[in-house]
Amino acid sequence: MFKKILIANRGEIALRIIRACKDMGIETVAVHSTADANSLHVRFADESVCIGPPKSNDSYLNVPAIISAAEITNAEAIHPGYGFLAENASFAEICSSTGLRFIGPSPESIRLMGDKAKARETAKKAGVPVVPGSDGVVTEESSALEIARDLGFPVIVKAAAGGGGKGMRVVMEESEFGNAFVMAQTEALAAFGNADVYIEKYILQPRHIEIQIIADEKGNTVYLGERECSIQRRHQKLIEEAPSIIVDDQLRAQMGEMAISVAKIVKYRNAGTVEFLMDENRKYYFMEMNTRIQVEHPVTEMVTGIDLVREQIRVAAGMPLSFTQEQIKIKGHSIECRINAECPDKFTPCPGTVTAFNPPGGPGVRVETAAYTQYVIPQYYDSMIAKLIVHADTRSDAIIRMRRALDEFIIEGVKTTIPMHKKILDEQDFQQGNISTKFMERYNSTVK
Amino acid sequence: MNLKEIKELIEMLKGTDISELEVERAGMKVRLRKGSDVTFHPTIPRVEYPHASMVASTKVEAQATIQEKVVEPVKTNEITVSSPIVGTFYRAPAPDKPPYVQDGDMVKKGQVLCIIEAMKLMNEIESETSGKIIQILIENGQPVEYGQPLFVIEPSQL
Repeated sequence: MFKKILIANRGEIALRIIRACKDMGIETVAVHSTADANSLHVRFADESVCIGPPKSNDSYLNVPAIISAAEITNAEAIHPGYGFLAENASFAEICSSTGLRFIGPSPESIRLMGDKAKARETAKKAGVPVVPGSDGVVTEESSALEIARDLGFPVIVKAAAGGGGKGMRVVMEESEFGNAFVMAQTEALAAFGNADVYIEKYILQPRHIEIQIIADEKGNTVYLGERECSIQRRHQKLIEEAPSIIVDDQLRAQMGEMAISVAKIVKYRNAGTVEFLMDENRKYYFMEMNTRIQVEHPVTEMVTGIDLVREQIRVAAGMPLSFTQEQIKIKGHSIECRINAECPDKFTPCPGTVTAFNPPGGPGVRVETAAYTQYVIPQYYDSMIAKLIVHADTRSDAIIRMRRALDEFIIEGVKTTIPMHKKILDEQDFQQGNISTKFMERYNSTVK
Repeated sequence: MNLKEIKELIEMLKGTDISELEVERAGMKVRLRKGSDVTFHPTIPRVEYPHASMVASTKVEAQATIQEKVVEPVKTNEITVSSPIVGTFYRAPAPDKPPYVQDGDMVKKGQVLCIIEAMKLMNEIESETSGKIIQILIENGQPVEYGQPLFVIEPSQL
């Protein structure tokens, strides 16, 4: 087992990883920008190294600084968390070449799944249904239009180097296509340095269902059930839950096996998530695979009783998974609300000082946060300040519990999305499980 | 206030509950802050200097000591040179060579003050100003973080 791990991240996920390490008796090294000098993750780590000025490019994305920090502290492994360098194949490679263990999959897996067009092809090879679309990247507008006609409008043009909801354009009808195609290529080039795009049929009102998997060094791959993440705003998740109200045991096993096939065909190691879109007939289609631990991993932990970050560390250290597929049972229901420091009407980030911070408690309530009273939210990073997770026996009990926990959550000094979460949970459609990625659009139009 | 007096202050601070102390005297101000975390391990300089041509460095035996981050007294006409990168501080280009600078040396703008080694690359740290080396704050072979104070220089027109 590792003696010392460096956490190449910040905020709540850095704290999450530090906790898993401490629970295992592993020493921790935090890295931070000057803006995060008073962060909780810095305070709670055994050691800390300042790696640069506030901007992410100069600090949390600064590979030499992070590797150097690992060298001077004699860290043996690096956990990249999510975002930042978590899905940077070059960083994973640099780690191995300097003798550091990257806690995640191989650079090849990251690279392959990071190319969203190649990932689709891989899923097809694994016999997994994919959203009908082009066979890989399309460069010519005329061929693209042919494909779009075959698929039938609406279609979506997606950047191959994109992902996580970025670099996509929906085209509702043929007359818009030419323009949209060229714009998508231009945007892809600007945002990702790569103009490659592919086309998919656009499924109206899909549900976003993702499967958590984890594999050890021997290739034992287990799925840990699904998460439904349909409550999204501009492709950013707001509320996640496990299990999905629309997925029964049989469908779970089917999708789980599909996710495992995708993972096995690329010899995937460590934790990952296979994302599917599901239409109203419960037909599912592979969308993409995320080669990292995800923000919403706690809801899976709550319903399975598995500590995913701990498993990640164990697997990276060469140990086998501490459970078999048969041992994974889904118990009860869990919901997570991402609490952001955002101005409620425009959803723009609202940095500032948190003058009062009192998280909720009681049975079945879990808070993942790096905020505290007098915490100054820096303006340089994302606006999420806490994740509120609840667990209960049933979905309706979980909703009641989440409602109660949101009422107890005191955050003063900055505006947060807590009021919005309360309203969403009060919506009849949400309570009945009539949700899809269109939910927030409908909600916004009724609320105004 | 000289280094000896500051060391005495630090000793005095150790036995107390006081976590932060600021003393002003004769136009000089010293602030001492007690840190309870181990920030990082100073390396013992018995290690071979890695050569510029990428040699795998031997892992150093680290000794944990509580590093009290002393903010050095900075007069209004003094500037602090801080580390622009993370790495290991070396005072000389090689173990058998003399250090780049000593206390009291006059330096020119652009003159190399030290080396910070990061990822097997030797980075020469140049002075932003001409002046006199008042203090060298880091020991040879000690790890440094971004922004860590390295030298105190009294600038002069040269």
